Formats: sequence, structure tokens, C-alpha cells
Amino acid sequence: MSSSAENPTLTTEITKPSTEIATETAQSAKKINLKTSDDQIFEVEESVAMEFATVKSFFEDAPSSTDTVPLPNVPAKPFSQVIEFCKEQIKFKANPDETEKKKSNSEFVKEKTNEDLVEMIPVANYLEIKDLLDVLNQAVADRIQNRSVEYVRSFFGIDNDFTSEEEALLREEHAWAFEDVDED
Amino acid sequence: MEIRMDFLNWLDHETSMKILGCLQDPPDLVRVSSVSCSWRHFVIANGLCKQLCLRMFPHFRRVYCVIEPTCGIEKALEVGHSKFVEWETLKREHKAYAFLAQGCLLFPFKECILDAISASSTDDYPVESIRNTLLQGDRSEGRPSYWSSKGQHDIAVPETLVYKLAADICVITEINIQPFQAYFQRDSPIYSAISVRFCMGHPKCPMGDPLGEPLDDTADDKFIWTYSSLEFPMAQENSLQNFKLPEPVVCIGGILQIELLGRVQRQEADGLFYICVAHVQVKGRPMSPAFGAEMLGPSGKFVLKGLSWDPTSFLPEDDDDTYHGEHVHGGVDLEQIANM
Repeated sequence: MSSSAENPTLTTEITKPSTEIATETAQSAKKINLKTSDDQIFEVEESVAMEFATVKSFFEDAPSSTDTVPLPNVPAKPFSQVIEFCKEQIKFKANPDETEKKKSNSEFVKEKTNEDLVEMIPVANYLEIKDLLDVLNQAVADRIQNRSVEYVRSFFGIDNDFTSEEEALLREEHAWAFEDVDED
Repeated sequence: MEIRMDFLNWLDHETSMKILGCLQDPPDLVRVSSVSCSWRHFVIANGLCKQLCLRMFPHFRRVYCVIEPTCGIEKALEVGHSKFVEWETLKREHKAYAFLAQGCLLFPFKECILDAISASSTDDYPVESIRNTLLQGDRSEGRPSYWSSKGQHDIAVPETLVYKLAADICVITEINIQPFQAYFQRDSPIYSAISVRFCMGHPKCPMGDPLGEPLDDTADDKFIWTYSSLEFPMAQENSLQNFKLPEPVVCIGGILQIELLGRVQRQEADGLFYICVAHVQVKGRPMSPAFGAEMLGPSGKFVLKGLSWDPTSFLPEDDDDTYHGEHVHGGVDLEQIANM
């Protein structure tokens, strides 16, 4: 009930499945070429590519374009994972099920290394994939929760630029927050 | 390993805020702010600890400014906001709100009543004083111990009991009330109320210390209530009845009022309805000695005083000294009353 209220167009999709599915298949047959910053070309179904707001607006500006779309800020490795996520998401567009979607999202996140997650964030950000960004933000927060400062530094690859005096002072001032963290 | 860049440098402001906004625990934010200079700057400049604290406890939206021992109110409100003053303010808020939020969650759970202030009426003062409700149980030194209202023909006439809490700021979670059963009367009637409601707030003017004798008073002209609970039904039973607030309530200003709504028991001797209470307990987390509050007139705005950042504030006390201490205190007063 709630999901159909969120998306009123859905009702029509469900009541007229045959025509809708037919168009969907016709659409998904179309492929779009996307070129990453490290010069790899990904052939992606149009329905998946339209999940990337940045790519979508590229086609809105030039509807008849058949060129390869360059993605100068997107390296291939995180991009392939982003595509994997969007393919899953599309299934839920046709058949929304919040519980299943959550489950699928958490499985997606669970399999990823810390590095995978951190690398995907700027890609999701550049491509403006809001759902993925939300999932990644939460996943990153979950992984640094109750962890030591040293762990957070290595998680994000951040150099400690405090002097030892500054750091000692910080720890003294906030001594209460440095107790009982999970082991690294 | 590949060198990764600091996301604060390559993500837009909104995304960085979102990631750190997903952290729900105050100590997580504090540790994140100790990762590097740029992270510390980001967390403090955006007031993330304050935001988290206000999200968890919206009651603190009434904080007018934060002071600490090294920074009095004059300095905190210094005009001509230079960048330096602004940054000092943000740093102070970062420290105070992080500790405050964690304190509201984890400071030890205690009895929060410090003393009785007033009752809306007392039938026989001082024998039936509100102060008796500080004592556990329904008798003390062999004598019945309870507060009794004056008698009324109309069962709808409410009564109120007002208490001073143990700290300027307390996070209250539940209140226990034991109605009094007049075991010395025929058929041992229980003078409970139909329902109870709780208000929390602060005095209109600073209160004297010590409080002196609790007198009959309508409290409404002396206090400003900033919180009022739903009504909870009360049973006509001689037991310590538990009223759990739907969620913890931050009482700022240290005053709690119990409204006793509706009368159920008529006294045979005079045909009047009374409400009597044997004992009251208020359970929660006092924020002292880490925090104090100074009310700024009737507006409800207040100065949050950060007094210590001692990590031992989170440790439970070795024994229940405070708890018993309250009762000894009540007992001494009762003796004084008895000698009057």
C-alpha cells in the first residue's frame, strides 16, 4: 500500500503489465558506451545508465547522441561495482519491496572491502546516484563506529598532521570518548 | 597500497556532512574530530556535536550560550564577533555538547529528588507535610508517614506536589508514586487519585538555598513549565506505582510537579474526598556536577555551564549513599518537625 502511494505511476505499470514490460525490454535492448577515467569502455544497458543522473542529463541535452560518454572522474574498478548496484536497484523499480531492497543493499555492502566503499563514494557522488550514496554513507559510518582514531585514519588513508603535543591535549580534553573502543 | 585521498577534500560539503551525520554516538564524532586537523576543523566548524545533541535531545534548543570555568558569560557573549571569538565559541560548544549528549545517555541512574517545595494544600501541617513523601514506605519510626490534601466535596478538585530536583539539568525517565493507605482508619481506605500528570520546568526567579519549610502554595505563579506529560491512570492500590515517561525528558531548571487529578476516596468521618501520598521517587540521570544551568528570566532560555569533563562522571557511585542520604536528610527534617 505505502509503496504505491509513494509512486502513483506504479499502479498503471502493474495493471497493464504486458505493454509496460514490452517497452521495457525494447528499451533495455539499447546499450550506451561509457568511458572511464582510465580509458576503459563499459557497454551498459540504457535503463542502467539512466540511473546515473549525470549521464541522463547528458542525453537530455543531446537526445540523439550516439557517442561514447566520457566519465572523467570515474575509474573503472569502483565503476563496475556501481553498475552492479544499479542493476540490482532496477529490479526493485519494477517490483518494489522495501524489505528485499534493504536486504539486497546490505548484502551488496557486506561483500565490499573498506577500500571498495571509500572508492565508490566519489563515483556515486559524481554520477549523482542518491540511493547508492545513502547506502554508502551509512555503510562507512557503520564501519568506523566505535573504532579507534588510528583505525579511522587507516580506513580513509589519512595522515595524522597533529603534533604529538596537540594530539595528547585532544585526548586529555576528551578522555571520556577514547575509552572502550572496539579493537582494531 | 594505493594512496587514497581524504574525502573531506574531494567530496562536496553536503556529502561529507551526510557521512559524518550518519554517526549516531557522541564519542564517535569526538574521535573523528581527532583524526586530522582538517577533520577536526570540519566537525567543529559545522557544529556536528551540537547538531547530534539537539537531534537526540531537542530540549537543548533553549541553550542561549555555553560557558565553562575558563570562559565566563561576559567572554561568551563578547560583541564584535571576530573570527577568533567565533572559533573559540565553536570549540567550546563542540566539547560541551558532545559530553552533554553522552551524559544524558550514560550518566548514572539515580534518585533525583533533592527536596520538597510545596503542596497545593496540606490538611494537617506539619504532621501530613509533603516532606514525608521523601521517606520510603508509609511509616517512619512507628508513625504513619504521608502527605494529605485538604478534603473536598468535589472529586474533580486537583492537587499538586512540587519538588526540587538534585541538579539544574536532569534526564527523567520514570516516576514512582505510592498512594497512602490509611491503615489506622476503618476498612483501611486508600486515598489515591484517578490519574497523574507530570510537569517539569524552572522557577521564575532564582530560589533561596536552603529551601526552608514546604508551604501550601499554588505553584503556577512561581514556576514556568516547559514540559507536560500525558495523563497516566493511577490504581487504588497501596504499592509504589511506576509511571514510565514515553521517552526520557530533560528537565532544565530542576523543578518537577506532580498533578494528582481526580479523587476516589471519601473519608467516612467528614464525608470529604482526600488524596494522600506515602512516597514519591523520581528516577533519572542528574547532569551535575558536570553541568549546570542558569535560567535567563521567564523566556526559558538558559546558559549551559560546562563545569567538568571528568570521565569518571560515567561511573556509578560505589554505593547508594546519595540515595540513602536523601532519606536521612528527610528523616532529620521530620524530627525537627516533630519537635516543633
